Amino acid sequence: MNIVVCLKQVLDPEIPARDFKINKERREAERGSANLVTSIFCANALETALQFRDIHGGKITVLTYGTVAAEDVLRKAIALKADDAVLVLNDQSSSPDPLQVASVLAAAIKKIDAVNLILVGRESADWGAGQTGGLVAEILGLPCLAFVDHIDLVDGSLRIRRQTETGRDVYMATPPIVLTITNDDHNLPRVPKTKDVMLSSRKPITKWSLTDLGIEPTPGYLKVAELGIPEKNTMCEFVDGETLDDKVATLARKIADVIQG
Amino acid sequence: MQDVLCVWFGSSGFDRSAEGLLGAGQRIAATTKGKLHSLVLGKGDNGSRAAAIADSVQIADQLSLDAYSPEEALAVITSVAKSLSPGAVLFANDAYSQELAPRLAYRLGGSAIGDAADVVAEGDILKVTRSVYGGKAVAVYHLERRPSVAWIRARAQAAATPRSTQAEIKHIATSADPNAATRLLERQTEAHEGVRLEDARWIISGGRGLGGPEPFEQLKELADTIGAQVAASRAACDAGWVPPSWQVGQTGKRVAPDLYLAVAISGASQHLIGIADAKVVAAINTDQHAPIFKHCQFGIVEDYKKVVSLLKEKLQALKG
Amino acid sequence: MWLMYALLVPTLAVAAYGFYHRIKPWFVGKPLDRLDRPAQRIVRLLKLGLLQQKTIRERYAGFFHQMIFWGFIVLFIATTVVLIDYDFQVPIMRGAFYLYFQSFFVDVLGLLFLVGIALAGWRRWWFRPPALVYTKEASLILALLFVIGATGFLIEGWRIAATNDPWGAWSPVGNVIAKISRPLFSEDALLILHRSFWWLHMGTTFAFLAWAPYTKMAHVLLSPANIYLGNLDPIGGSLKPVDFESSEIFGVNSLAQFTWKDLADLDACTECGRCTASCPANNSGKPLSPRDIILDLQKLSRRGEPQAPLIGATVSLSSESLWNCTTCAACVEACPVSIEQLPKIIDLRRHLVMDQAEFPEMMQDALGSLENRGHPFRGTQATRLDWVGDLDIPEWGEGQTYDVLYWVGCAGALVERNQKTVRATAQLLKTAGVRFAILGRDEKCTGDLARRIGNEFLFETVAKENIERLQSLGVTKVVTSCPHCFNTFANEYPRLGGAFEVQHHSVFLADLVRNGRLKPSRAIEETVTFHDPCYLGRHNGEYDAPRELVQISIGKDPIEMPRSRERSFCCGGGGGLSFVEEPTDQRVSHRRAAEAVESGADTVAVGCPFCMTMLEDAVNAKSGDRPVKVKDVAEILWQAVNQQA
Ligand SMILES: Cc1cc2nc3c(=O)[nH]c(=O)nc-3n(C[C@H](O)[C@H](O)[C@H](O)COP(=O)(O)OP(=O)(O)OC[C@H]3O[C@@H](n4cnc5c(N)ncnc54)[C@H](O)[C@@H]3O)c2cc1C
Ligand code: SF4
Ligand code: SF4
Repeated sequence: MNIVVCLKQVLDPEIPARDFKINKERREAERGSANLVTSIFCANALETALQFRDIHGGKITVLTYGTVAAEDVLRKAIALKADDAVLVLNDQSSSPDPLQVASVLAAAIKKIDAVNLILVGRESADWGAGQTGGLVAEILGLPCLAFVDHIDLVDGSLRIRRQTETGRDVYMATPPIVLTITNDDHNLPRVPKTKDVMLSSRKPITKWSLTDLGIEPTPGYLKVAELGIPEKNTMCEFVDGETLDDKVATLARKIADVIQG
Repeated sequence: MQDVLCVWFGSSGFDRSAEGLLGAGQRIAATTKGKLHSLVLGKGDNGSRAAAIADSVQIADQLSLDAYSPEEALAVITSVAKSLSPGAVLFANDAYSQELAPRLAYRLGGSAIGDAADVVAEGDILKVTRSVYGGKAVAVYHLERRPSVAWIRARAQAAATPRSTQAEIKHIATSADPNAATRLLERQTEAHEGVRLEDARWIISGGRGLGGPEPFEQLKELADTIGAQVAASRAACDAGWVPPSWQVGQTGKRVAPDLYLAVAISGASQHLIGIADAKVVAAINTDQHAPIFKHCQFGIVEDYKKVVSLLKEKLQALKG
Repeated sequence: MWLMYALLVPTLAVAAYGFYHRIKPWFVGKPLDRLDRPAQRIVRLLKLGLLQQKTIRERYAGFFHQMIFWGFIVLFIATTVVLIDYDFQVPIMRGAFYLYFQSFFVDVLGLLFLVGIALAGWRRWWFRPPALVYTKEASLILALLFVIGATGFLIEGWRIAATNDPWGAWSPVGNVIAKISRPLFSEDALLILHRSFWWLHMGTTFAFLAWAPYTKMAHVLLSPANIYLGNLDPIGGSLKPVDFESSEIFGVNSLAQFTWKDLADLDACTECGRCTASCPANNSGKPLSPRDIILDLQKLSRRGEPQAPLIGATVSLSSESLWNCTTCAACVEACPVSIEQLPKIIDLRRHLVMDQAEFPEMMQDALGSLENRGHPFRGTQATRLDWVGDLDIPEWGEGQTYDVLYWVGCAGALVERNQKTVRATAQLLKTAGVRFAILGRDEKCTGDLARRIGNEFLFETVAKENIERLQSLGVTKVVTSCPHCFNTFANEYPRLGGAFEVQHHSVFLADLVRNGRLKPSRAIEETVTFHDPCYLGRHNGEYDAPRELVQISIGKDPIEMPRSRERSFCCGGGGGLSFVEEPTDQRVSHRRAAEAVESGADTVAVGCPFCMTMLEDAVNAKSGDRPVKVKDVAEILWQAVNQQA
């Protein structure tokens, strides 16, 4: 099986809320002192691929569309024993929207050739649009299943399990197919061996530009018109009232407000 | 901007989610002075309530969830949307809808965005407000192409107002593709009740101050009135009052609910790490200096024994 | 007589072969210099070997071991004297020397020797403490030693009786035997008895001599050797670096990957069990036992398969056991013969982490966070400057100079409870007029956690970055609030080129008080007990400064818990364990908290942010109705110094 895992580099989503700043002009987060990391569902996707390869063999190519800094997520994937790594360089100044990303990834997957299985995180840890997988499938004309947490190979067909509100659906599918991966307790990213970390810096990474892929920049289909940090009232508002009954009534109303959105 | 098409799965009937979805659709259609169409996928909802709201109702009841294939559903929606050519298509935010929406947008040449907390039409453009960066920021998106496809937090939307007249209900035929690339083998319904803590929208959590396992029963009843999950601090798990899998915190689960109500929990930093992503934290505690209050939006300084059952009554009253 | 010498030759040959067999496995080990600083080593040998400073810490066992030890030495000297005098015809057994030493003193010590063995037997066969290893070998050794001692006295008594030795009274035990025997046996019979028991005595002795090197009695020679070759640095500096350039395998998973000294350690073990008896993990019901680690490795070493994998080979070497070590060094401190159990545990962990990439998930999380965010507290919403508030503390910028860098530490800055400690410390420094600054947001974990968990690669990476940053700022003196940070600066950075003068806040503050720069203005009405942090105490030998601060603040000495100073019992939080979940009934912290609460003190004083986290949680669970607080010594001092509070 030839597997491509798409990875995205994001601003560390675990920085404390108080350290989180945005650039109003550019309408995106300020990097500040935060680190750039592999988005978590992408890491789950890579882990799912690695587990699949551990059992059934195959080749894993990790693919990212990003800036030069994004090489880091590829190096980390190589340290986890991904076979090949491709960076499609983004030299645009603004961050691309889901359709732009999907067009580039789809073109790169075509160029990688003979790919049977494409794994994508269910959504990214920054913008979280949750569309890349579906759009890549559409562009390539492939079927797609979302929220997958386990993949197996049975008689040459894929046995795919995915999460729904009420439980899990199990599918049989014939590759090629695009899957978006969600987390469960079995696909927590593994840690690399130190030796592999040391070796990962020596492995060559394929770098392509849009010209190499033979595509033009696609116009976006979404615009972030405003970006703001919601006012979080960190001062606790103690509910007030004459009687206990009053106080609890106020509390109930506040709870109902939150629940109803 | 013209018509609005709302699409949902009928399997759980015309539930709160469908109500909110049509409510949102109705408000947008009102601003755009367009029509409101609806499409029900699968069995379970006979369309009668939708018919009192929407201008047209179509039901694809041959589409069986027991042989569900996203490709088949996509084909139906695409053909309906093509015939109606709406300016906006709205979905609820269940897993199946999220899976379909962006692909539909692509097929129709439109734009998509989801997990909308709010959606409004302004002139020609659909504007969607949603949280980004794990809830640390809020963005307003403009969908630049039509149809604008959005999946929305439907349960949080106000329900639609019905008319006295009923629209016509049309049943449409679908055909399963025998050569489909995906084939549903089985649907496993989760044995345990409710959703996983990590995915829970609302959580009520109890701590050492509860003093024993029985008060957790009370918390459970309170939780049930609002459809919340029950969790606990380590102290309560350690005491054996509740199973260890309920523990929230640094060495327990990390949760991200919209509401986290901490009952008799002091708010040690190891506990707080587990609720860093909660949108709203509230607390019931006798000690007004308990650290949890420093991380709360609102709270009450009272004995939980006096508050919990009363709160349940009040919430029930508010609900219905 | 010639027969005896004839027998001595094969005896010694067998013994020598035994020793050779003991030592041979060491040669597969990797090199390590343990012959440097001979003067210090001799002092060490005198203290720990001759004076038995560690052995005697345990009352009963220390007592009888002293008896056997000195009895053995004196009898050995006496036998050698006889040899020289009689067989080499050098007349030294004369006059007063003969009477006082060779007769009286030797006799008394011989008696003590026998009593000591009886006491040891009593313990082994009657009390049966779990610390001991129960083997036939151990029992046989005791029996043989007893037979040798007893027959020695019998032949002496019968000699006195048979020869009517005029100086017999100088050998009191022999004399008693002579007095009893004389009416029972004729002179001839006595001579025959003497002669045959002499052979029995010599036979047993020779048999013992030949056999000893194959048993734990080899410790008579190997232990002093091991003490001489022991680690001279603070325990906190005893982890070895890893050569990342040339090694193929990181950490240790076979005997050949240990150093020769690690292998020598295995043979020095006397099976006394002191290490396991003091191990907090073992005490709280976990499978870890440092004694079993040493003995299991010893067994594997004798099996002669230096390449065979170690991890998982026995229960004590299972990863479950290894991940329970808090790195408290109680085992190292307890061992009477200078065996270093802890560095071996870390060597094995290194292999699990770096080579197999298999270790507890919570620790993976902590190290992942350390790598990505410079601190191990994944998910914390605190920032490094939260504690500062309105205090106006300068951040050390490029080109500025200060006298002291206050290294706050991740656990100090990011765990809410500890923010009070570092605030108190900073306020004390300000009050004393110290010119200090902090790094603020630029501070990063020292790497201690990575090192103790076993990720030496990550440790080196962050350590080098830190050293470079501090050197570029021109920092020379550092005060830390965390003993783990202190240890890293004091013992581990110098080897990576980062020599900074470093003090733990308790030591620095004690100095400020002594110099009159901090004046406690009122005594706090509290009784306080002090819990020694492992990385300040055992790892670095500092026990007094924090007690001094308590004494100054409350006007009296702290209450001592039964286990304190060198023998202090870990809080359970070291070695990455404050990041994992222990089973409720196996919490180290709960045992320590119970001890602290039982001391009756109002306040448990700590000097480490991890102790604070572990103990505050556990004291809350254990204190019942009596309110018991946990405070850092800096907070207590600030209470005493600050007029307003
Ligand atoms: C290494 C480590 C990891 C840890 N990991 C976690 C973790 O993952 N999750 C976690 O939760 N903890 C964790 N802890 C434990 C944490 O430090 C706290 O001890 C624990 O969270 C306290 O639980 P609590 O708030 O329920 O209890 P307490 O701190 O005892 O608080 C009880 C609260 O109840 C209030 N109260 C009492 N009676 C009433 C009443 N009648 N009505 C209303 N309020 C009342 C009190 O005012 C108090 O605030 C960890 C600790 C350590 C050392
Ligand atoms: S360092 Fe402490 S926890 Fe580890 S084995 Fe030694 S005594 Fe036990
Ligand atoms: S390692 Fe040291 S303390 Fe432990 S049993 Fe052996 S000799 Fe005793």
